Amino acid sequence: MKKTCAFLILFLLSFISAAIASDAIIVVANTDDKSIQLSRQQVRNLFMGGVIPYDLKAVALPPENQTRVLFNTKVVGLTESRIQSYWAQMRFTGRKTAPKEVKSEDLVLKYLENNDGAVGYLPAGIALPNDLTIIYTIQ
Amino acid sequence: MILILLGISPVASAADDKLQFSGFARLVLGHLDDKNAEYVGYDNSISLDQQSLLGLQADYHLSDSFSLTSQFVGYTEDQRNSGLQWLYLTYHPNNALQVKLGRQRIPFFNYSDSLDVGFAYPWLTLPQQFYDTAFFSTFDGILANYQFAINDWLINYEGYWGRFDDKIYLSTQEINTKVIGLVGINATVAYKNFSLRASYNQGDVNIEQDEAELFSQLLRQVGFTQSADWLNANGLIEFYQFSANYENLNYFVRSEIAKMVGEGGLVADIDSFYISAGYNFYPYTLYISYGKKDLHFDHLANEIPFGVSPELDVLAATYLGALAQFPDDKSAGTKIGLRWDVLSNLALKTEVTYVEANDEISNDYAVKDLGGFDGEAILYQLAIEWVF
Repeated sequence: MKKTCAFLILFLLSFISAAIASDAIIVVANTDDKSIQLSRQQVRNLFMGGVIPYDLKAVALPPENQTRVLFNTKVVGLTESRIQSYWAQMRFTGRKTAPKEVKSEDLVLKYLENNDGAVGYLPAGIALPNDLTIIYTIQ
Repeated sequence: MILILLGISPVASAADDKLQFSGFARLVLGHLDDKNAEYVGYDNSISLDQQSLLGLQADYHLSDSFSLTSQFVGYTEDQRNSGLQWLYLTYHPNNALQVKLGRQRIPFFNYSDSLDVGFAYPWLTLPQQFYDTAFFSTFDGILANYQFAINDWLINYEGYWGRFDDKIYLSTQEINTKVIGLVGINATVAYKNFSLRASYNQGDVNIEQDEAELFSQLLRQVGFTQSADWLNANGLIEFYQFSANYENLNYFVRSEIAKMVGEGGLVADIDSFYISAGYNFYPYTLYISYGKKDLHFDHLANEIPFGVSPELDVLAATYLGALAQFPDDKSAGTKIGLRWDVLSNLALKTEVTYVEANDEISNDYAVKDLGGFDGEAILYQLAIEWVF
C-alpha cells in the first residue's frame, strides 16, 4: 500500500511539473549572422556536445535552475540525472566537456553580450539587448 | 581516503583553467545469499572491497587544440591493477575531429571505456554476463573520432589501432598476454532519442600457456597434429558488437549484443547480450535488466587411441584432462534496481541480481562454484556513486 501511495504521489508530481513546463524558452546567440535559425535537434546537439554547421559555443544554467529544467524537458528530452551521467561519461572518457555554467539568467545575458559565438537559453519574455539574436523558440 | 578527497575537491575546482582536476568514486556494498558460490567477487559475507574504487583525472590544456590527459584508478578489488588507466595526448582542431595518442581504454562495447565510472550508467553493476567478456580494457595506440550531422542525424565514426601487452586475469590464474595489430572501428548513429552502435574489433593474440604449449609440441612429435593444433591459444580474435538504445524523459531501453570468435582452440567463442528497460521519475530511476552469456569451445574429439600402449593411454588421458580444463560456461543474470540522484553529482543505487548458471561453470568468470553450488544465487548491493 505504501508503495502504491508513493507511486501515486510521484505520478501526480510529474503532472505538476508538466503544468509548470508551459512556459516558453528561447535560445539566444551572440552572432553576426542574424539569419541563423536552428532546429530542435541542432539545439540539442549544441548543448550535448554534438556538431552543428555553425561555430557556436553553448553556456548553460546550473542544474537546480528552473529555466534549465524547462530546457531539459522541452529541448533535450532527458532528465537532469541522465544529463549529469552523460557528461560524467564524456568527461572521463575524454570525449567532450559540458558547457560552461553561468549562475543566473542575468549573468547569461551578460556573458552572451561579452562573448562572440556564445549561445544560451533563457525564458521567453526576458528583455534582450539588440545585438543578441533569437535562434530558436519553443512554446 | 575518500574522506580526504572530499576535502580536496573544492580546491580542485578552483584550480587554474589550464590544469583541471576531476574524479569519480564508488563505494559498493555487496552480499551473496549463497555459501557455495561467488559472484563478481562477492561471497556470503558482506564486503565493501569488490567494486569500490577511486579515480582521479588531470587534464592539461597545452593550447586550443592540444591537451594532455591522465587518469589514475585505485581499485579495492585485487584482480585489477590499480594505476594509470589513461595517459594520452589529444589533438582536437574542431568540434568534429578528435585524435588521441597514448594509453587508452578499448572501445569494444558501449561502456568499455567508462566501466569504472558507475555514475555514468543506471545499473549498479554493469550487465556482467556481457561485460565479463572483454578481457583487457586498455591499449597503447592511436584513436580517432569524427562526428558529423546530416539533418537531424548525428553520425560518429571512431577507429583505433594499437597493442596490448599485460596480464589478464582469469580467476584461476594471471596470464601474460600480448595482442598486436589490435584494431577496431565503430559507428554510432543517433536520431532524436534513438541511437545505434556497431563495432568490429580484432587483434592477434599471444597468450602465455606454457603447459599447453609443451604438451602440444609433444603431441605434434607423436603425429597427433589435429590435437596439437587445437591446444593453441594463439591467433586472431574478433569481436563484433551491436547495440540499440532509446531514451526519453520517462523511460529508456538499452540493449547490446556481441560475438567473440577466437581462432585458437583454447580461445572460446562467446555470444552474449543484455536488454534493459528503465522508468525515470526524477530524481529516481527504476530499471530491470536481463543478460546472458554463452561461452563455448570447439571441442575436438580425441584422436589418440586408448588401449594400444600404456604410453598412448597416458597421452590420451592427459589430452582429455587438458580439454576438461576448458569447459563451456553459460550464465544469465536478471536484475532489478533503483538509482536515486541525491545531488547533481552524487547518486545512491540499490540492486538485486538473480544469477543462474545451471549447466557448466568454469570458475573463470563472474560466477564461481565453491563446491555444491546449485546454480542459483541472489546478489544484494548498495552503492554510492560520486563524481567531482
